[in-house]
Amino acid sequence: MADVLTVDHLQKKFGKFQALKDITFSIHPGEVFGFIGPNGAGKSTTIRTLLGILRPTAGRATIFGQDAWADAVSIHKRIAYVPGDVNLWPNLSGGEVIDFLLRLNGQKHSDRTDELIKVFALDVRKKARTYSKGNRQKVALVAAFSSQADLSIFDEPTSGLDPLMEEVFQREVLALKQAGKSVLLSSHILSEVERMCDRIAIIRQGEIIEVGSLAEMRQLSRSTVRVTTQQPLTAIEALPSVHQFKAKTPTQAVFSVDAEALGDTITALSQLGITQLITTPPTLEDLFLRYYNQEGGKDEQ
Amino acid sequence: MSSRYANTWALVRLNLCHDWLKIFLWIAGLAGMMASAAAKFEGIYGTPKAMASIAQTLKTPAMVSLFGPFTATPPFSSAVIYGAEMMVFMGLFAAMMNVYFAVHATRAEEDAGTSELILAHAVGRQSPLLAAIIELLMINGVAGVLEALGLQAANMPGASATGSWLFGLGLAAFGFMFGTFSLLFAQMVSSARASTMLSYAWLGLLYVARMGTDVKNPALTWWTIFGWIEKMHLYTANVWTPVWLMLGLSATVLFGAVALANARDIGAGLVEPRAGRSKASRFLQGPLMLLARLDRTSTIIWLLGLFVLGAAYGSIFGTVGDLVQSNPMLAKLLGSSGVAAANRAVVLGLANTLVVIFAVVAAVPAISTLLRLNTDERKGYLELLHAAPVSRLHLFLSHAFEAVGVGTLALALGVLGMGVAGNASMTTPISLARFMRGFVGYWPALLVVCGLAALLVGLLPRLQTLIWVVPVYGVLSMFLGPMLDFPKWAERLSPFGWVNAVPTRAVAWPTFARMTALGIGLFGLAYVSYRRRDLTMN
Ligand SMILES: Nc1ncnc2c1ncn2[C@@H]1O[C@H](COP(=O)(O)OP(=O)(O)O)[C@@H](O)[C@H]1O
Ligand SMILES: [Mg+2]
Repeated sequence: MADVLTVDHLQKKFGKFQALKDITFSIHPGEVFGFIGPNGAGKSTTIRTLLGILRPTAGRATIFGQDAWADAVSIHKRIAYVPGDVNLWPNLSGGEVIDFLLRLNGQKHSDRTDELIKVFALDVRKKARTYSKGNRQKVALVAAFSSQADLSIFDEPTSGLDPLMEEVFQREVLALKQAGKSVLLSSHILSEVERMCDRIAIIRQGEIIEVGSLAEMRQLSRSTVRVTTQQPLTAIEALPSVHQFKAKTPTQAVFSVDAEALGDTITALSQLGITQLITTPPTLEDLFLRYYNQEGGKDEQ
Repeated sequence: MSSRYANTWALVRLNLCHDWLKIFLWIAGLAGMMASAAAKFEGIYGTPKAMASIAQTLKTPAMVSLFGPFTATPPFSSAVIYGAEMMVFMGLFAAMMNVYFAVHATRAEEDAGTSELILAHAVGRQSPLLAAIIELLMINGVAGVLEALGLQAANMPGASATGSWLFGLGLAAFGFMFGTFSLLFAQMVSSARASTMLSYAWLGLLYVARMGTDVKNPALTWWTIFGWIEKMHLYTANVWTPVWLMLGLSATVLFGAVALANARDIGAGLVEPRAGRSKASRFLQGPLMLLARLDRTSTIIWLLGLFVLGAAYGSIFGTVGDLVQSNPMLAKLLGSSGVAAANRAVVLGLANTLVVIFAVVAAVPAISTLLRLNTDERKGYLELLHAAPVSRLHLFLSHAFEAVGVGTLALALGVLGMGVAGNASMTTPISLARFMRGFVGYWPALLVVCGLAALLVGLLPRLQTLIWVVPVYGVLSMFLGPMLDFPKWAERLSPFGWVNAVPTRAVAWPTFARMTALGIGLFGLAYVSYRRRDLTMN
């Protein structure tokens, strides 16, 4: 099946400032795609370009095979969007906004809508001016989940939600996935992305620096090894694939090792008589920090 | 100083730092307008003959309704005529300046969330209000002094220092009084928009009330508050009583405002917002209906307001169109059919001026709806709309339609109110169709102004507020143009100056067609530039 969304060497300038330098990635049907990066990296700018709110300076974005700028209207019939900062017309109630947004997409207030209002514990009769940030987000989330769109785009959707509501959000995203829908989830909450996303793109200063599944990225990265052996570990420290070697005693050490060399390293260790061994795969946080610190050629943290 | 008012001076400085350019422009505009009009006056009304004839004109009810009464007795001087012509008009502008800054320094800050940030610091709960009061005092003080100095420098024949200072300081007190009204309203309602609306409704009400009493029974004008400015009798009796009245009322109103501010929470009004609907009404579909829903209350107020304004003016047509009463000789000179024709001409002439006012006022809600396309964008309201299958054309046209629709209805209702009430008050009515010529004639001017607004919205979103220059200049050239002998081209700078003297004359259809085409063309151009650009313009 063709990709739901492809972004091809997208660039965006605001005057002289180049917010997006080179963005390329695609989302396959039925997958939850994570989009992570620090504040100001260009996540929201990318998403606004995907929605046709911003006009790309160069490059191209297509959704459902159509151009994100030129065919915005027909694309939007099949997508749902929750911005990071939801601002609602102060004089409308939450319920009015939800119904209005659904109607724009040619849909109706359904039983599903009522169910979502209930699980998100939203008081729909309140005027938007009295809602907190989290409640405004809930309004947009209810409308988005209720519309059962083929592609849902969430831009840091849980930044104002309490942990309970975050759970609800994650449940609803998984339900979308089970229904075969695609999701683009921008976030800087790594545990959220780790738990839900099939594939991830890491963006830094307007550039995509890595795309792939978490497993693939782990492959590219290093595991942490804590080991105690019978014989001294001096030979291990000299191996080219071993980094950040720290010995507590001659026979006890912590170090990181390139993922592809893990097997060989273990073989070498076993010759020294392993008494205790713990290997930890890199967390997304490790990955993230590692990529982020790559700036200036530094590889270690 | 009690802790409730802690750090007020720091806030005042902060406000002045933010607003100095706006303050400068307003004060320079007001003082400059007064001084330059004064300087020009002598040239126009230098001779006793010219003065006698303008005095005669100013005494007619039509002119009294617009400019206030003319009570001076001969021999006239330039200064006396200047005072009579300018006071009501300048009072309106001074009040507008104060409404703007009063709302800006209080409610607008709360809306933007700035107050919350500021109050988290070592700033007293009442400090923002007190800072606003001080800021208004400063603005009006400086404006008043500069106006007085400007008048002295212009040195009109017949001008006295007392009169010039009374004019300047009286205007300052008058403006400050309307500023305090706005501060009071800002405590009562829950948004900057509503405070401004309420302030203007109050200003309009008082203005119309003074018009009624001026024409029918000037003694009652004392009760209209707005009329106090006329009772200063500039450059003749130079009465200071109104200034004390204004200051006294201001103090009382401020007392109320502070009491209310003590009683309410930041960000809230006096009236708790009611719970809304849990589901949207059947009609809330698409951007146009959304706009209509969002603008509902203000639309009703504008439409009603214009009808009332029109009716208020219409109700004096009976007096205006009774020339014999103010000049008994006329009946002998002209004969009864001649008098009837002259009465009719006077009424239609006034109607022409009034229709320009209605058109300018009707342009206000229309322009603000158009500007919403960018202001709502900046506030982030439209982000969810853009992600929906709503094209930019659809969104743009919705705003255009709502704007032109409300403007058109408002103008029509103003003219209708004038016609209906006018006919009720006159002995020989003029057909409603004749009055409606005014509507048809000025409608394309409204369209062109809307088109210009849309073009700024599309092309220069950052400078879009510049569009307000057009209606302000429209009023200015209409009020002052004939008095100050503006050259023809200066009157034609605003689209309101392109229309012929309807309803006296018939609608000039070629002009109508040209202006309508221009308006539509402007909207087209506006859309092309809107379509091609980024929507978010921070
Ligand atoms: N309209 C704009 N004009 C100028 N600069 C902008 C605009 N929008 C975003 N930026 C800049 O582009 C960069 C990327 O911002 P954004 O996409 O919002 O980051 P993120 O969502 O990843 O936190 C930031 O440096 C931001 O300041
Ligand atoms: Mg962002």
